[in-house]
This record gives sequence, structure tokens and C-alpha cells, in this order.
Amino acid sequence: MTRVVDNAVRYRSAPGPSPAAKPIRRRRRLRIGAPGIALLVLLVYLVIGPIAMLLLSGFENTTLGVVIRPPFPWTLENFVKMLTTQQTYSVLLATAVFAFASLLISFVISFALAWLVERTDIPLPGFIYVLTVAPTGMPGMISAIAWGLLANPVNGVLNLMLRPLFHAGASTGPLNVYSMPGMIAVQSIALVPLSFLLITASLRSMNPSLEDAARASGAGPLRVLARVSIPLLTPVLVGAIVYQFVTVIEGVDIPLILGLPGHVTVFSTEVYTITHPAFGLPDYGLSSAYGILLLVIALAPLILYNRVLARAQDYATVTGKAFRPRRARLGAWRWVAFAAVMVYVAITFVLPLIVLLYGSLEPYIGAFSLSSLERLTLSGWTNAFHSHLFWSSLSNTLVIGLVSSVLVMALSLGLSWIIVRTKSRIAWLADILAFLPHAMPGIVIGLAVLLIYLLIPGPIYGSIWIVVIAMTTQYLSLGTRLTTGGIAQIQVGLEEAGRTSGANAARVWLRVLLPLLRPVLLNGFLLVFLTAIKNLTLPLMLQSSTNTVMATEIWNSWNDGKVTQTAVLSVILTAVTVVASILLRRFGDAGDDRL
Amino acid sequence: MSSGIRIEKLHHRYTSKGREVVAVDEVSLDIAQNEFFTLLGPSGCGKTTTLRCIAGLETPTSGTIELGGVAVVSDRVTVPTHKRDIGMVFQDYAIWPHMSVFENVAFPLRAGRARLKRTEIEARVEEALGLVNMSQFIDRRATQLSGGQQQRLSLARALVRQPKVLLLDEPLSNLDAKLREQMRAELRQIQQRVGITTVFVTHDQVEALSLSTRIAVMNGGRVVQEGDPKEIYLTPNDEFVANFVGATSFIPGTAVTADPAGIVVETPLGAFQCAPNTEIAPGAEVVLALRPESLRVSDAADASENSIAATVALSLFVGEGVDYRLAAGDFELRARGAARAQFPAGAKVVVNVAAADCVVLPAGRLGAAGGAR
Repeated sequence: MTRVVDNAVRYRSAPGPSPAAKPIRRRRRLRIGAPGIALLVLLVYLVIGPIAMLLLSGFENTTLGVVIRPPFPWTLENFVKMLTTQQTYSVLLATAVFAFASLLISFVISFALAWLVERTDIPLPGFIYVLTVAPTGMPGMISAIAWGLLANPVNGVLNLMLRPLFHAGASTGPLNVYSMPGMIAVQSIALVPLSFLLITASLRSMNPSLEDAARASGAGPLRVLARVSIPLLTPVLVGAIVYQFVTVIEGVDIPLILGLPGHVTVFSTEVYTITHPAFGLPDYGLSSAYGILLLVIALAPLILYNRVLARAQDYATVTGKAFRPRRARLGAWRWVAFAAVMVYVAITFVLPLIVLLYGSLEPYIGAFSLSSLERLTLSGWTNAFHSHLFWSSLSNTLVIGLVSSVLVMALSLGLSWIIVRTKSRIAWLADILAFLPHAMPGIVIGLAVLLIYLLIPGPIYGSIWIVVIAMTTQYLSLGTRLTTGGIAQIQVGLEEAGRTSGANAARVWLRVLLPLLRPVLLNGFLLVFLTAIKNLTLPLMLQSSTNTVMATEIWNSWNDGKVTQTAVLSVILTAVTVVASILLRRFGDAGDDRL
Repeated sequence: MSSGIRIEKLHHRYTSKGREVVAVDEVSLDIAQNEFFTLLGPSGCGKTTTLRCIAGLETPTSGTIELGGVAVVSDRVTVPTHKRDIGMVFQDYAIWPHMSVFENVAFPLRAGRARLKRTEIEARVEEALGLVNMSQFIDRRATQLSGGQQQRLSLARALVRQPKVLLLDEPLSNLDAKLREQMRAELRQIQQRVGITTVFVTHDQVEALSLSTRIAVMNGGRVVQEGDPKEIYLTPNDEFVANFVGATSFIPGTAVTADPAGIVVETPLGAFQCAPNTEIAPGAEVVLALRPESLRVSDAADASENSIAATVALSLFVGEGVDYRLAAGDFELRARGAARAQFPAGAKVVVNVAAADCVVLPAGRLGAAGGAR
């Protein structure tokens, strides 16, 4: 798993040269072939298509819908409107505060946890590791709902319990999760598991003798941390921050659930509300302008990140590890640190789980108390299991997850092969196709795909397949990062040996490449599946009455105030994602060992 | 007053996958000031663990270590690595890639508690780089260096603090053969010029023999023989040492007579006149150890005390000589012959050995070193 995620931030993770550079051998090239060209055409449609659509509608007057044949109603009106509205700037500010504060907090927490687990003698580091990573199974949307139940200002469970102590007499507070600080706290907690995984993975792969050498040079533990460990981790840290930045700005889940009730609007929710207005017609032109702006905001740090990565090859510090790194002695602080970590886990992971289970068994939400035990009922669960909508949304979720992840891995495999193995004149296109989806925030992809299939007549619009298409575009970068790494590890000689043994291209793929890549593909499949079923943004942007998935169904019932139903569905979806992430860890790890 | 390094009853064990591993087993060493002391042995023999215990990168289970008369490990104290007066060179050099050459070397000066003036740091970095012939690279980024340059840089970094003790963990093993030979000579020169107590860890007998003032051969966590290079090579005290230090052929036998003038050993290849060994009593089961370069391959017996008939099984011309594998009875002998007169495979030859070159060892763990090297 650590490797998966390590690769997940590493765009095109071709192995870099080690510091003691070996002579550079020119890479042997293979021909791209007709299937390769066909693949590129399909990917251009999936990746460039949405961007072109966005540009088109952003620069058109869309009062009569998007026009795709002359005469084009060209206009700059959308951008003028966007840039002259006060709302735009307050959204921009809110997005910036939301993103930077949650990134800062989550990385401080993640780094502290990673350092404690990997570099100190804190008790039970393996146990802490598992507990810290476990919340990856909980979708951000569901943790937002759980915190809504726990700390909404009126009848949040924690508020009902704390109010008599701190706020006697008041009808709201003392906590209010429907606010910017609330959003930041929940988003920070949601970012921790992946950031923690990335940092521990790179701490583990760091050559321990670099730290040993500093110690043998007379540097104490803190100096080693400040002057050697952290500087060496910088490329990974910057990469992880940029990756998580896109995660923060692209999703609607936390801003929608926690931001809207408190009138805090960020970019993703702004785009969603313009395209799904409560009254009147959606303004596709204006929302496209917002989409384009958001695309630029996401792209800028990614370009910076790729620069850092180019330099990071110098930092290649991965060697065969001879000795376990030395752990700092915390002394009496060991147990203090351990207790602090346990409190953190209890608040961020156990408490939300408990409130969801509790909410699913109660007719309405109230403070934890003995009297609430008398109200316990399974009616929420029986209602769900007797509901046709529940079963169709569950099956839609699974079908979309399965089909998207198979498609993503198949396309990624072909694309990575072109990137790694061929250096034809159009290989730059392959690079761009693998890179761009990463810079396309989910909300933007959702908007663009929506616009495309509003135009193209046929059965796609409103079906589950429109969601599959959007997800395939969104997760292409994630998939190629894994497959590019996988193919780069297979020497080209193995393919050539297949050819010289008389096998044709198809047979080489079938008998040599696919078997060797099986672990990577399985791993990627599970990772994409897990990410896809947790996704609220795309299904919500593309929602119709017939393509409801678990995530949208949860949002709808939450929005309708059906707390018990929301909690039941949340527990079920969490169970599905937890099973998927356990499988991912099991097969993912096994897969890594084999390569 | 100060002896260089004193190690007493060093013991280190750990549990790995539920199994207890004894990495260092009751090792005691007394290393004099300015000595070039080598820990030699195969991988896993405990030599690197011993070195890391001296550096403080491992904490031994028990035992004491004194550096320059100061106890750094004992029942009462464990001085952390950064407070020990050492310099260390790592097998992979451990050059910090995010620092320049200058910054790498200056790090130990800046890390210490004593604040040095900037001019002094610059002067000492330049001096250290000059010592290893790296002055012209002072402004380079560390990642722009070749393997050999990184190795020199790593040595400059270890020496810049002018520590009491220099620790070298297989510093030459990542270099290619030519460079390794050159660096070997330089390493010795620098060590003598600086005059610093040095502990060198290697699995390469040539490095050990050519560099050291003294060698401790380790196996299975124990020191099996300690002595100067000549003693180790010429009078190994067991089969492991004989086999590990040099490619040795062994022939089992029984001591017939043993006195200060020499030993006569009866073997399946006949009786051998051998060098004396006080540990051997008449009647003892023994093993004869024969070095390839002390076997003279010829077509007739010469004045040597021992001559054996053999057949050439393999004859490899290696430039400065000929490597032979010879079949004598049921035994394989390895010999090194002159380049000019090469016997072809299949030739019947006579192998001549002087009595002084026949080392008699008590019979024991034949093949413990995993075959001839």
C-alpha cells in the first residue's frame, strides 16, 4: 500500500538515476502501431474533449445552450461577469483559506504522526499506523455528515452534551461545524491518512546512513531532523501537498455538507450551485468561466510540482536498506505521546463511527444518554432494505465502480506503454494525456462532461454511463502513475526476448507483459474502485432520476433532513469502502512484493 | 595515557522474526593509538555491528567500549553518537544530496557545540578537501560527483573535525577495481599523514592485508584470530582463517611426529614435511593448508621437501601468471604458476612445496568458510 500511494503522487515515476550515476544508455524504442494511435484518439476525446467543451461554452453566450456550429455566439461576457462580481472574490478568498489552512494543519499532524511511528520508540507503532490509515475507508462526505451530527450548532450530539457545561441557557453552540473553522477541521482530518502514508513511505525508503552520517558528524536528534531528514523529504512533501491541494479544491463533499448551511461558499460549491440552481435556469457560460479559472488554479501548482520532481531525481535516496534507522528515545514522553495519539484517533475516527451507528439506530438525533437507548430501533435499516431506491443505488455504485476501474486500468496500461516504450513524435501527446486529468478538478470534469452530453443526443445523458465516462477521465492520471511505474520496471529486453522467440505483439502482451503487470493492475483496479465509489462530486454533477448512486442518495436524504436514513446509508457505504480498502492493502502489498 | 580504543566483552543480540540472533559474541579488542586496525570477515560475521557499536549507531546488549580512555559504553553510561569524538565513512558514502560539497564537509563543524568562526570553518573545510585532493570541487553540488569523488568527500567530512577515531565501513567496496586500488593506497597515506586511530571494516582480504597494522578476523560474531597481516596470512590458526584469507587447498591427515623442527603428516597423498605448530601433538587429526602461490608446478621434482604427482584439470592464463586446478588423488589443489611456462589441461605435472609453506592446522570445521575464495 505504501508503494501504491507513493506512486500515486509521483507523476510518471520512471526510476531516476542514483547519485552515483551509471552511464546513460539510450532507451530502446518500440513502434507505436495502429492500436496505439486508436487509443490516443479515444483518450484525446476523453481528456481534451472536456477542456475544449469548457473553453467553448466559457467564451459563448449560452442563454440558448451551447452552440457547436457556426455562427458561434462568441462573447467575453461570462468572464466579465465573473471578474466583476464581488462574490467571485469572496469565493476565491474562502477557497484559499480553506485549502491552505487544511493543508497546513493536516501536514503538521501527518508529519508528527509519521515521525513518531517511524523514528521514535513510541509504544505499539504498528497499531498506531493501522489506526491512522484506517479512515481512508471513510469517504470525506460521510465524515462530514458524521461531524454534522456531532457538532451542528443546534442539536449536534456533542453540543447537546457540552452545552449544559459551557453554554448553559443558550440554544446553539458551543461548537459549530457549519463554519469555515469547522470545514477546515474536518477537511484536515480527512487529509491526514493519505499524507501520513506518503510521509511514512518516504521516511522508510530514505537511506538510513544519511541520518547516521549526520549523527556521526556530531549532530543531535533535532538537528538531524531539521538539517537532514526534512530537507531530504522536501520533494515528497511538496508533491504530497500539491496532490492534496487538488483534492481539497476539486471536491464538493465537505463544502456542500458543512459549508452551505453556514453560508460558506468555495469554488466547487459555487460551480455546483450555478449549474444546479434552486430556481431558474443554470448559467452554463458563467459556470464554465468558473471552471476555467479553477483549472488554472489547479494547474499552476502542478507545474511547480513537476519542476520539484525533476530536481528530486537528484535526491534519489532509496538504497538497499542494511540497517534499521535509529529511533529517538522519548523517555517518559513515550506514553504521553501514545496517549495523545490515542485521543486523536478516538476523536477523529472512533467518534464519527459511533455517531453514525447511533444515528442509524435512532429515530432522531439527540445527546448520548440512557434514555436514548430506549428509543433504539432497527426501522431505519429495514426501511432501507425494503427500498427499491436503495438497491438500485447500491448496484449503480458497484457497476460504476467496477466498469470505471476496469476501463481506467486498460486505458492507462496502453497509455503508459506508449509513454515508456515508444518515443515517437506523438509521445508528447501521451505525456499530456496522462498528466492533464490530474490538473482537472472533479467539479470541472463533471461540468464539462455534463455539457458534452447535453449536446450529444443519445442514451448517455442521465444514465450511469455518463458517470462512468467522467470517472474514467478523472482517474486516468491515477491509473497511469501506477502502470507507468510498473512498465518502467519491466526491462524492454523481456519484450524483445518474446519477439525473438517468435511471438507476435498480441502474444507478447498476453504472455509477458500482462502476467508481469498483474499485481500493478490489480492494485490499481482496487485503488480506482475505492476512490470511485467514494466520489460524490461527479455523480452529483451528473445526477438524474435514474443514475442515483450511494453517495448521491446519502446527500439527497441528508439534504431532505432524513437523518436516520442518511446514517444507515452512510454505515453501509463505509462498510463497502472499508472492505475495498482492506482488499487493497492485502492485494496491494502482495503485489508490491512480487515486483 | 590514552589507548586508542578498548573494547571489552562486547555482546550484541537482537530478535529478528522471533529468532534470537547473536551478532557480536564476547568481542574484546585493544586498539592502540594511531593504529590502522581492520575487522575482516564474511558478511554477517559481526564486523559492521561491532563498528556501529563503536560509533554508537547500535547499542550493544552488554560490554564496555572506551574511546581515548573515555568510556562511551558501559553498565552505567551510553554516550549518544553525536557526543562521541569520531568520524565515519559509510559503505554508500552517505553524501547529503541536498548540500554542496562545502556544506557537506562543513556540517560536522557546524553541528558541534563549539561555535566556530566562519573563516575558521572555511579554512578547515579547505584543509580537509585538500587532504583528499578535492579542493577544486568545493562549490559543486554533491550529486554531481562520481563514486570515487563521493568517497573522497565522505573521507574529508569524517576527518574535518579532527576526531580521535576514524571509522571506515567498507568504504572501498562500491568502487570499481582500478579506483579501489588507487584509493587503497591513498587511504593508507592519508591515515598515516593525519595520524589517527582507524577501525576499518572489510570482507576483502587484499584490502585488509595491505592497509592494516593489525587485523582481527571475525566469524559468527567472534574474533577467530588477531594479529599483524603477515601472521594472519602465513600462520592462520584455523581452517576458517586459512580459507578466508587467501585461496587455500586443504588436505586432511594425521600428524606422525611433531617437534619444534617440524611436523610430519601422513595424508592420502603421502607423507608431508611441514612447518612446526606447537598446538599439534603426534597422532592428532590435522589438516594441511597450502597456498596457491607456494605450490610450484613443474615437470620434475626439485629440491623442495615435498613433491606430489598431479594432473592439470584446468589451466587459465590470467596475465601475470597461470591459475591451475590440479587433480592429485581425490583432492583438488589450486596453484599459481609462471606465465611463461603454461602446462595445458591434461598434462602430468609434479607439484613441489617447501616444508615452511605447509601449514598444519588442527582438524575441525573444514569448509566452514564456504569453500575456497
